[in-house]
Amino acid sequence: MKEKNVILSLLNLTKSFDSQEVLKEVSFDVREGDVIAVLGSSGAGKTTLLRCINNLITPDGGDVFFKGERVQRTKHSIRAFRSKVGFVFQRFNLISHLRIIDNVALPLVKVGRVKWTDARKVAADHLKRVGLADKLMSYPSQLSGGQQQRVGIARALVMDPDIVLLDEPTSALDPSLVGEVMRVIRRLSSEGRTMIIVTHEIEFAKHIANRVVFLNDGEVFADCSPNEFFESVSGEIAEFLTDLSAIV
Amino acid sequence: MSRAMSKITLGIMVAGLLWFSYSSVSAVYPFNWSSLTKYYKLFLEGILTTFQLSVIALALAVIVGILVALARDSKVNLLRDAGTLYVWFFRNMPLLVVILLVYYGFGSAVNVDRFWAGVISLSLFEGAYVGEIFRAGIDAVPSGEKEAGEAMGLYRSQIMFSIVFPQAFRISIPPLIGQLVTLIKDSSLVSVIALGDLTMRARQVGTQTLAVFEAYIVLAGCYLVMTSLVSLVGRVLERRLAIP
Ligand SMILES: Nc1ncnc2c1ncn2[C@@H]1O[C@H](COP(=O)(O)OP(=O)(O)OP(=O)(O)O)[C@@H](O)[C@H]1O
Ligand SMILES: [Mg+2]
Repeated sequence: MKEKNVILSLLNLTKSFDSQEVLKEVSFDVREGDVIAVLGSSGAGKTTLLRCINNLITPDGGDVFFKGERVQRTKHSIRAFRSKVGFVFQRFNLISHLRIIDNVALPLVKVGRVKWTDARKVAADHLKRVGLADKLMSYPSQLSGGQQQRVGIARALVMDPDIVLLDEPTSALDPSLVGEVMRVIRRLSSEGRTMIIVTHEIEFAKHIANRVVFLNDGEVFADCSPNEFFESVSGEIAEFLTDLSAIV
Repeated sequence: MSRAMSKITLGIMVAGLLWFSYSSVSAVYPFNWSSLTKYYKLFLEGILTTFQLSVIALALAVIVGILVALARDSKVNLLRDAGTLYVWFFRNMPLLVVILLVYYGFGSAVNVDRFWAGVISLSLFEGAYVGEIFRAGIDAVPSGEKEAGEAMGLYRSQIMFSIVFPQAFRISIPPLIGQLVTLIKDSSLVSVIALGDLTMRARQVGTQTLAVFEAYIVLAGCYLVMTSLVSLVGRVLERRLAIP
């Protein structure tokens, strides 16, 4: 089988807060169609890693390569890069004074320079696909958490990004609402979307991801297939999995 | 006791108290309301002037306030400090002194019209407070929403105009209406520079008719009506613009 193209490369990303080294030379490649589950215990640096990728946090060192080109830290190249990288937040972060449809249309209008009327058509289409065709005119506060997160996903997809980053997309949700959001994410993976997803949903990592990146104390401790990961005999991984099952 | 009942009771009590005070005062002070009637035009003029003064001053104070808020949230240290200095100065200076400084101080160097001296004093002064209101509104916009804007690739200015300002403005409406009420009340101080506002007109009527108490009772009533109307309009506006 032919190797798929590398879309994103992280090279020696480092980040410290005060004197604490949160990321220690993190490197890995993301290939087209990869669904990477980033696992690690609380404080391992998962959120920091995701935010360093699209420069929500500026890394102290290291580089991000997008389709073979280094992403410069200038306003314009960061903006161009971000428009090709969808981001889904743990707490949804929808714009509260905009209707759902406008929340999703906003990136198209402001970054894609599409007219509002055209952008709304595209937005409505994306919202239909996450099962929210009847909520177009609602405001974020009028939706359940699960619905809000599906809007968040539609918003991340509207620019047709080459890769989507998701930071614990279901961990702010009621257990009963996790399923509807996970179904949407599973569909994305079956459509071949490239994703990096920070998650505590072990089932997701086992059955949907094709790779697991395990962060331990700011370092990539393991980067392997889910099978290898869950059958690993390493002490750190075993400890992590035990802790996780203790919580659940 | 129901809400309506307690309101009616309070109304009766206040009316009784007023009637009692009025009749006690009448025993020593012969009220003469009829002498006021032919001066009603002066009162109307005063109301108009106070209204114009307040509305123009508010509009300018909003502009000053936006500048102050932006300066205080700026990344440039010099601007931030300048904003802080501005707010410090006007929050620690009596409005009366500002009016005197502008009218008699600057007025002795350049020719300043009374009305515009009043407008300038009020807008500079209230602008400091409006700036603080806007700043609080801007700070109240959830940082996650700004981050979402960044993540989708918006420029800082786009984040401001599409995400921050629309929400900050809505958040600012109630305190802004409160500030307009304060401004209307504060504007009575411009009567010291003989600007023909409501307070000044009431004083004129009082001296001309010798019905001083009557003139000031009307004055008080006029301010109450004006400020209450502003609050009412503000509440309607707030409800109209509320985000569900
Ligand atoms: N803005 C910040 N300032 C200072 N320290 C920070 C900041 N953000 C994160 N940290 C620290 O960096 C470390 C890693 O945080 P991070 O949020 O990346 O962890 P995480 O793996 O996402 O954890 P969780 O599973 O709890 O979300 C933590 O020790 C945290 O306290
Ligand atoms: Mg996290």
